[in-house]
Amino acid sequence: MTDQIAIHTEGLTKHYGDVEALVDLDLDIRSSEIFGFLGPNGAGKTTMIRTILDEIRPTAGTASILGMDSHSHAVEIRNHIGYVPGDLAMYPNLTGRDTLTYFSNLRGGVDWSYVDELADRLDADLTKKVGDLSSGNRQKVGLIQAFMNRPEVLIMDEPSSGLDPLVQREFQALMREVTANGSTVFLSSHTLSEVQRVADRVGIIRHGHLIAVEAVASLRSKGLRKVELYFDGPVDGSLFSHINGVSDIAVQNHHVTLSFSGPMATLLDAITDRNTLVDISTQEADLEEIFLTYYREEASA
Amino acid sequence: MTLANVFTKTTRDRWKAPTIGVISLGFLFFFGMTVYRDIDLSVYTNLPDYFRQLFGISEDADVASLAYGAILSGYGALSVTAITLAMGASVFAGEERDRTIGLLLGNPKSRTSVLASKAASMVVLTVAMTLLLWAIGLVTPEILSVSIAGIHVGALMFHLLAISLFFGFLALAIGAWTGSPGVASGATAAVLFVSFMGAGLFPLIEGFENLAKAFPWYYFNASSPETNGIDWGHIGILVAGIVVFAAAAVIGVNRRDLRDQTAGISVVDRLRDHPLTHKVADRLAGSTRVSRIWIKTASEHQGLLLVVALLMFGFMGVLLGPMYLLIDEAMATLTEAFPPELLSLFGGGDMSTPEGWYQIETFGMMAPIAVMVVTIAIGGRALTGEEARNTMGLLLANPIKRSTVLYQKTLTMIIFAFVIGFSTFAGVAVGSLLGNLGMSIGNIAATCLLVTLLGLAYGGLALALGAATGRTRIATFGATGLALIAFVINGLLPFSESLSGLVKWQPFYYYLSSDPLMNGMDWGHGAVLTALFVALVGLSVVLFQRRDLRQVG
Repeated sequence: MTDQIAIHTEGLTKHYGDVEALVDLDLDIRSSEIFGFLGPNGAGKTTMIRTILDEIRPTAGTASILGMDSHSHAVEIRNHIGYVPGDLAMYPNLTGRDTLTYFSNLRGGVDWSYVDELADRLDADLTKKVGDLSSGNRQKVGLIQAFMNRPEVLIMDEPSSGLDPLVQREFQALMREVTANGSTVFLSSHTLSEVQRVADRVGIIRHGHLIAVEAVASLRSKGLRKVELYFDGPVDGSLFSHINGVSDIAVQNHHVTLSFSGPMATLLDAITDRNTLVDISTQEADLEEIFLTYYREEASA
Repeated sequence: MTLANVFTKTTRDRWKAPTIGVISLGFLFFFGMTVYRDIDLSVYTNLPDYFRQLFGISEDADVASLAYGAILSGYGALSVTAITLAMGASVFAGEERDRTIGLLLGNPKSRTSVLASKAASMVVLTVAMTLLLWAIGLVTPEILSVSIAGIHVGALMFHLLAISLFFGFLALAIGAWTGSPGVASGATAAVLFVSFMGAGLFPLIEGFENLAKAFPWYYFNASSPETNGIDWGHIGILVAGIVVFAAAAVIGVNRRDLRDQTAGISVVDRLRDHPLTHKVADRLAGSTRVSRIWIKTASEHQGLLLVVALLMFGFMGVLLGPMYLLIDEAMATLTEAFPPELLSLFGGGDMSTPEGWYQIETFGMMAPIAVMVVTIAIGGRALTGEEARNTMGLLLANPIKRSTVLYQKTLTMIIFAFVIGFSTFAGVAVGSLLGNLGMSIGNIAATCLLVTLLGLAYGGLALALGAATGRTRIATFGATGLALIAFVINGLLPFSESLSGLVKWQPFYYYLSSDPLMNGMDWGHGAVLTALFVALVGLSVVLFQRRDLRQVG
């Protein structure tokens, strides 16, 4: 990973009338990283993407892609990017191949053997009309369209919606390959698991505010876990409340559930002192819980 | 409240167009009656039957009946019918196009009940339109102190309601059978067009007068309801049609598969599948069609172009040449006595000459409509269509400027306008040769060039409205509405001594006021229209560059 910046925003703000869709966003996406942009529906993910692509104009602030201003160099930028819009729509009367031919013509040509390779890997049918395809199969055409010119920066808004798990895995492999070759991937999602699997870093956005930018590794290490503990006899809930990083304790006779963030050893040391632990199961917290944790921190900050 | 059921929701979604339509008509009616008040009425007693039949002007014309005839029974009836037709076409098929029909029918409602609720909404809105027009028709003369003794405004409105619903239900039935609002409105509009022309043309031809009865429009105004009251026989025929169409719609909507995809199967697709034609068709559809933005845009509007071009060439061009020889000579010579200002209301022209005949039939109304249908359809959707379908973002992710997209689509509009202009030219030229009418080829070309430029000016207006707002409806309805108002003003203003100077402030003046069919090309007028078009395209670029792209959904 180099320290060059692929996408840069500074105080990026977008208002729709009274609605603040995006507020003072400062973000740097490094070259050849996969950056996951996470947030619930309506958080401002799509607004951010549409703004840096010059589809809509910021109320304040600036954005640049590969060092070029997103507005004044909009056309030049598009020579270097691939884009999958959220809620992807294409021309229903064109076949997949017609669609790709059209965009290839607008780009001044692409490497068709690469297109065929992509279609093969994603198991896409390019002979059918786009309007006749299921949403997942339509999405594949959109993905090929974004990858086919070997872009330096890929910007994708909820790109894996509708894809089956096998194709999702292939798509993730594809993202890793292109970043290994120096491309940058910016992907928005509301699915943590997907982002965790591929992304190097994650930005979390809510109500137009960027709440946190974290390396996925550190997100995981301080990652919130759901822990279920089974003991050989009844336990007292107050035993756990003093342990650092524990919250949401629920005790039912032999059975305790709690949320925990921190090194697992701390927890185990604290509880096995006085009780016999029969079984333990831990589970990664889902996106909602991570969000809640961040919101709590945000609120208390 | 307005979301209580299918009926109220449909009404809520659709009340705007009828309201705006009726208010515009009210304005025109008021304006028309004001102007008619000031003119010498003696000329009306000599109006040939043809005008009266086509535009519903009664024989013993006075200020009131002329205004009712020309405005309400002429443009008014066509506009109300067109609005009802548009509602009918999308009643059921519209939900299929929007892919909402599955969701709607996921509720415990039968297809028939959904169809019935939506049809009821169409009926109620049409009744409301005619009631409102009725009120305007009664209040206006009161304000202007014009006597309307002997005029049955209510009867006229009743006939208007019947003819509108006739075409509304026809569109509904076609939509119910095909599931395509485009097919429904297109086919019904074609029937309306042929019906309107047929009901007006056949009475002119000796021995064929009765053929007019084959066309539904005949039952709207052949009986002159505004002077003679309701003709229950004619109403009965229209109502019978409505009942048949409604029954057909119920059967159609229940017997077929609902559409769940937006792609239709075109001729090219079939050719592409066939081994013999595969190569050529694949080349056309797979590489030529998508080679440029303008070519792709052209392919999207090819059906419209083909239909309009053929109609102008065949029906409004070639056919009318020999037909001129069939017209009753006495009727034709009658028009010689008319002041040209009066005829300008119908686009001008004097039926005693072949030029006048073509001017009335082809160039007065139909040619501008034909070019504008195409230019406004392309101009109005050029940008807004991609935005409404959410494809603009994808398109502009390619290294092309926003202005490039706009220019490429404008290029399609220009080419299509010239194709319509040329097909009209070719049709009229051939018609003139077939009928041995001896019209000047150069003058026909000049008139066609001017109508092409006029159409482009309004296409440019639609483009600019779309560039400013991103909304197809505002772009197409706005441009169409402004064209209609300008057209009527252009016909009426020369009557008014005080206002006649204002006529130069709308585009239609630069089309026929120089009488190009007789005098040839007026380059000054051509330059005005061209400048207007260029300015509107330039304005569109500025507006489109500045704006946020819309995202729907």
